[in-house]
Amino acid sequence: MTDPRPGDDLVIHHAVVQHGTTTLADVSDIRLEPGRPLTIIGESGSGKSVLAHAVMGTLPPELVARGSMTIGAVPFDLADPTGRRHLWGRSLALLPQEPALALDPTLRVRAQVAEGVAGWRPRHPDASRMADERLARLGLTEVGGSYPHTLSGGMAQRVAYAAATIGGARILVVDEPSKGLDRHSLDRLADLLSAHVREGGLLLTITHDLELARRLGGDVMVMREAAVLESGSAERVLTAPQHAYTRALLAAEPSRWDFPWMRGVAATDAAAEPLVAAESITKSYGAAPLFEDVSLQVRPGERWALTGPSGAGKTTLGNALLRLTSVDSGSVAHSRATAGGRLQKLYQDPGHSFPRRVRLETAMGDVVRRHGVEAGRVGSLLEKVGLPHEILRRRPGQVSGGELQRIAIVRAMLPRPALIFADEATSRLDLATQATTMDILMTEVEDNGCALLLVTHDTALARAVTHHQVRLGSPDDVDIRSEDPVAVS
Amino acid sequence: MTTPLLEATATIPTGRRRPLARRAALLGLSLLAAFAIVGPLLLADPSAQDLSRFLEAPSASEPLGRDDYGRSVLARLAHATRLSLALSALCVATALLLGTVAGILSAWFGGWIDAVLRAVSEAFVAVPALLVVLLVSALASGGSLWALYLGLALAQWVEYFRVVRARSGLVLGSPAVEAAGLLELGPAHVVRRHLWPDLRPLLGTLAALGMVTSILAMSTLGFVKVGLQPPRAELGLMITESFPFYDVAPWMSLAPIAVLFLLTVCFLALRDSKERS
Repeated sequence: MTDPRPGDDLVIHHAVVQHGTTTLADVSDIRLEPGRPLTIIGESGSGKSVLAHAVMGTLPPELVARGSMTIGAVPFDLADPTGRRHLWGRSLALLPQEPALALDPTLRVRAQVAEGVAGWRPRHPDASRMADERLARLGLTEVGGSYPHTLSGGMAQRVAYAAATIGGARILVVDEPSKGLDRHSLDRLADLLSAHVREGGLLLTITHDLELARRLGGDVMVMREAAVLESGSAERVLTAPQHAYTRALLAAEPSRWDFPWMRGVAATDAAAEPLVAAESITKSYGAAPLFEDVSLQVRPGERWALTGPSGAGKTTLGNALLRLTSVDSGSVAHSRATAGGRLQKLYQDPGHSFPRRVRLETAMGDVVRRHGVEAGRVGSLLEKVGLPHEILRRRPGQVSGGELQRIAIVRAMLPRPALIFADEATSRLDLATQATTMDILMTEVEDNGCALLLVTHDTALARAVTHHQVRLGSPDDVDIRSEDPVAVS
Repeated sequence: MTTPLLEATATIPTGRRRPLARRAALLGLSLLAAFAIVGPLLLADPSAQDLSRFLEAPSASEPLGRDDYGRSVLARLAHATRLSLALSALCVATALLLGTVAGILSAWFGGWIDAVLRAVSEAFVAVPALLVVLLVSALASGGSLWALYLGLALAQWVEYFRVVRARSGLVLGSPAVEAAGLLELGPAHVVRRHLWPDLRPLLGTLAALGMVTSILAMSTLGFVKVGLQPPRAELGLMITESFPFYDVAPWMSLAPIAVLFLLTVCFLALRDSKERS
């Protein structure tokens, strides 16, 4: 069999992926050219990841693929998963999602990257040298000898990139790279991907992050429910979309939100007793200080955002304000209005915030009994967030992340909280789900006159939802800013 | 997205791989338990001697024959099985309760409570379990049931303590318990909804193993004649007592060995199927 040559296109003539009788993806005539990246966007479950794995030949065995594709002049049958094995790493490479999980935790970074070198043999110095060069080019000179768990999300992503591309693959498939990465790390990755395209590589990116799609340029395809709705150049699709769904997707970006609760914010009483008052608090882990001498007061009804890159200590500051974490110096005072379970928290992963082996209705029943919630309030709240009451019969693991976060909102609302601390509560959800979830949360926050403390790395989200911001950069650079409530007309 | 992929793999029924082994183990255990409960009520006195019927071979009226003192082997076996099951269940229950409570206290409060409990548990780990039982037995008068019970329970609680402490530490540090704290649901909720559902499968497995350990330890001590004393019917003692006659009356030694073997296999099979489910 002839191997693909530089300059070849990848054309998917037709691809269908099925699980049992359900069609997960059904597309045809997709062309990937050198120098012109293709980005597939769409919400969770739209079949975009499945399509990427069908191209790679790495679908799980219970999914069946049909169709054909050609690389240059060489045809491949998508139903045959073994036919493309010899291309892996040499001409076809996948950058998997969640690189922190994709890397082998027992192998040092250098050894892991070196395994991808053509003609690799164990403990061969050439491979290690090439791995070191590769890592150095990505600005990772220091990490060759470390284990993956010591790396930040952004670094792990770049290590995975080095490991995926060291074999010299020209066709790169990138699956959902934005998951759990802050904007800065994502920008660095986007630069790497663009460089790959400039060097004549083929790039297929799967993402729900419109910002990344915009940065990469080239072509964009919008997928929903297994089919392609719209495709074209990135400028056209992302500025003048034809399809109603694409327009809705674009409107789900926080910077374009327009919800009732964003308008006409009642002026908060500056003289009111603060719910939470932090007095020059300092916290460090080991020798590294996270923040120093931070003072801030959250008054009833105020909306605060804690922003900054990952690892800056946003969550720790939020936990310190809720007195879930002790501080090294300074003090945090809570007013009387917060007593009796009226400080509530929403977690990044709602699945971990419910008792794992107990039905949701049992867990909710305890809350209802403890706080004397009137009968029917759970039902009416569930109705407001658009969930059937029957969903509570399941266990937390049997409910999707977006639904569970809505149930977590319902639970947090039961004690009629004075302050809600949302810790990256929507960062694992796709844009459309994020918009609905935030809308539900903020509608409840507004109806109950509740204060909000939002931890997020997404500054657009912080701007859309809150009026006060604490930006954490380096420990001595904590920027506390109160903006005037922006009236969106 | 991975969602469809994950859902596809998640919906494949994993099922219980060995329902047959589990059912067989449960059946075997209930038969043995029935024998242990009903046998002593129906059968003759296990210590009634009839020297004229010494080493009588098995017959229809006496299915396992008679021993060197002319005592009914079947009656002795029923009493021995009852003793083994009851005493080891009592030991396991005590060790489980003690270890679980201590483990939860240790993980919950930490600090000096944790330090003290850990030090005590490590002292027990440093001494072999049988030695603990022997030491306690030596302190009490020879062959006392209470000494054996206390010794076995003391030798076993450490295992429960260590497992429960490690697991509870994880559960108590989880966001779910933090959320319960913010909702002020109280310690009873944390124990009932978070700790107990998480610990229950582990404790079930440990208890099944603990039964095996207790039964074997008891008969080992009987076998080397430092545990319970004759004329009490006990599986280990019965095996030793029958050894001099193994060539003329093999049924005498085979019967207690078979019961010991069945008990062990059934509890181990039960543990295996628990681990898988």
